[in-house]
Amino acid sequence: MYKWFLAFRYLYTKLIALFGVASVMLCVAMVLVVLSVMGGFLDTVKARSRGLHSEIVVEGGTLQGFPYYEEFGKYLIREHADTVEVTTPVIYTYGIFRVPATTWTKPARVLGIRLNDYVKVNDYRKGLHYERYYPDTTRLGLQSMPVAGVSEGGVLRLPAELEAANERWRKSETDPEAIAAFDADPFQHTPFPYVTPAVLGERVYAADLGGARFEGPEHHGAIVGCDLLNERREDGNFNRHLARGADVALTLMPLSRTGTSTGEPPIRVPLRYVDDSRTGIFEIDSLCVYVDFDMLQHKLAMDPQPLVDGGFTKPRANQLLVGLKDGVELNASRDLIDQAWLTFCASLSPELSAVDARAMSLAAVYTWEDLQRPFIAAVEKEKVLVTFLFTLISMVAIVLVGCIFYMIVEKKTRDIGILKSVGASGCGVATMFIIYAGAVGLVGSILGTFLGSVVVWHINDIQDFLAVLNPQLRVWSPDVYSFDKIPNVVKQADAIWVALLAVLSSIIGSLIPARIAGKVWPVSALRYE
Amino acid sequence: MNKPMLRARDVHKSYKMGRSPLRVLKGVSLEVAKGEFLVVTGASGSGKSTLLHVLGALDVPDRGIVEFNGRSLFELGDSARRAYRNHDVGFVFQFYHLLPECNVLENTLIPLLVAHSFWGWRRIRRKVRREAEQLLERIGLAERLKHRPAELSGGERQRVAIARALINRPTLLLADEPTGNLDERISKEILKLLSELNEAGQTIVMVTHDAKVASHANRYVRLSDGMIREAEAPGDQQTPARSAAREVIS
Repeated sequence: MYKWFLAFRYLYTKLIALFGVASVMLCVAMVLVVLSVMGGFLDTVKARSRGLHSEIVVEGGTLQGFPYYEEFGKYLIREHADTVEVTTPVIYTYGIFRVPATTWTKPARVLGIRLNDYVKVNDYRKGLHYERYYPDTTRLGLQSMPVAGVSEGGVLRLPAELEAANERWRKSETDPEAIAAFDADPFQHTPFPYVTPAVLGERVYAADLGGARFEGPEHHGAIVGCDLLNERREDGNFNRHLARGADVALTLMPLSRTGTSTGEPPIRVPLRYVDDSRTGIFEIDSLCVYVDFDMLQHKLAMDPQPLVDGGFTKPRANQLLVGLKDGVELNASRDLIDQAWLTFCASLSPELSAVDARAMSLAAVYTWEDLQRPFIAAVEKEKVLVTFLFTLISMVAIVLVGCIFYMIVEKKTRDIGILKSVGASGCGVATMFIIYAGAVGLVGSILGTFLGSVVVWHINDIQDFLAVLNPQLRVWSPDVYSFDKIPNVVKQADAIWVALLAVLSSIIGSLIPARIAGKVWPVSALRYE
Repeated sequence: MNKPMLRARDVHKSYKMGRSPLRVLKGVSLEVAKGEFLVVTGASGSGKSTLLHVLGALDVPDRGIVEFNGRSLFELGDSARRAYRNHDVGFVFQFYHLLPECNVLENTLIPLLVAHSFWGWRRIRRKVRREAEQLLERIGLAERLKHRPAELSGGERQRVAIARALINRPTLLLADEPTGNLDERISKEILKLLSELNEAGQTIVMVTHDAKVASHANRYVRLSDGMIREAEAPGDQQTPARSAAREVIS
């Protein structure tokens, strides 16, 4: 009993133990902050990666794509109705994005999607900006530009369709703060974000007294990655310099079925900027432009093309996204669809041309995890590496606890002699110091967990404060990390593990001093005052 | 003389002092009967404390035998020797050797804390706490239970040390210069307390450099140059046993 009694008595009576507690506390807090931020970063990457694709992707593997995607989609729905919910094809290619009224150009990855189906297989809809405030108004089909007008009362009005959509959003929005934020900064959210009230006065009153309407030639819509077109502010929101419905253009290079140039000059495709999308992955949001699938297929000559010997080629797509039923196991579904693809190809083989057979043989079935694995694995490794480095630094705590306990043992030699004179064993005395170290580790861990949690919870406030002092101190740039905010969630399991490791480290640090204490010869300890 | 409770035969002990060994005990033989109050006197450095440490199994002799109730202490295993120190012997040191972080009551209870496991202690704690309070009350420390050693006088500290030595009701009390660090008045009080304990039946072996202290003993011997030189029975110097003292060790 004396081991527990004296260990805890020393804990709160010996000032020197507080240094041990402080060192453990700081190390725990440091590791917890690193683990939480890196873990949060990884979780966010994973969550956003999950939302990028469908659960299963049949990937063509080439820019020229593969045929029979539509048939295979229908085949899956028919043959595996208990597994497959929906399928939708995607075309991807590369092009040059341009805003015609300016000289502004950028390279772009162009994706042809069927928007209504595409949003069923992933989280794409969540990242659409205008679609949130004006639901069901983001479309990729042909459309004119919405132009604001002024009501008789002098109030800025949008076309009725947009006004009604906005009203629907207001009624369905459950977060009053979101509505307040919209009203506080309407020019971030209206189709005319760049127009200040003063400018509105000039432009709208002078030019648009005729009222709100759609005008200009009809072009297909384009959804542009938010970082491709807009300027990201430090608070993570965007300055949108281009009005919704403004003219943009893509320059594309069609490829033949075999992947060679068709010989045609690059095609300029006029489009209307209808929305911007935000996946949260900077590499995607700064590169991707989403357009109508059928339009892009046609422009890239991936739709049926006449053959020299009569007949037509089969339309091609680069991917077939497959959405699964709820509760279906991912990897098992991949294997099932992979087998289905092989069966489907085999059933077609008598009628397949050599080019189509080659294209279909290159296609493969992946889960979203398979596709994102290289990226996620890199972040996972980064997390492990950084956590390992900081844990290594925290090992200093072991040495420090060892030094502190060595000093305590030196100072407590007489007490050890007293205890041994009344029958305490060397092992018991050593255990007492180990319990003491464990208690130091436990108190340090509890305080460190609290400190680390507070830092993590307020890490964005801390960064904002530091940035006010000196902008150079802003270490988390949304431009670099894709995310607006530093991850600020402490996982209970992480906190428990870090705390347990800290207690263990303290105990390890005390082992040598405890052994020395256990070996103290009572006579030499008691002989002199 | 009654049958000896403690017997030392031809005990030798030396220490290393630099390169050469320092022979402290050179064949000490001694017997202590139950209920006896033996005083060992001798000059500083004569080996008194070393003898006491050997008798209390705190130190191991180079040669010789120490028997307690017929059992040879140094043929016992380590745990049996620890049990001897915990149950059979109570130590009182010149410098009190109290734990500074513990109060009077806690210091008194230390041998019991050592003797019991966590769960064992939970079972007996109320009972032994009451016993310790009664013991401290009898030796005049009832008002000092919550005081720490730093808040006590020298005499009070030595009383706490005596209470700690007695809490386990040991058969043998070993006192190493218990008055060596106290003024004359307090020394007399402590010696009186020890005498009363002896009169109540407690066996005591006390070492001291002060020959005057020997007057309180049944018997005293002189240790000189590592050997017992003289042995005397100072006659019947016992004072009437006091009932209070009996209570203390009962």
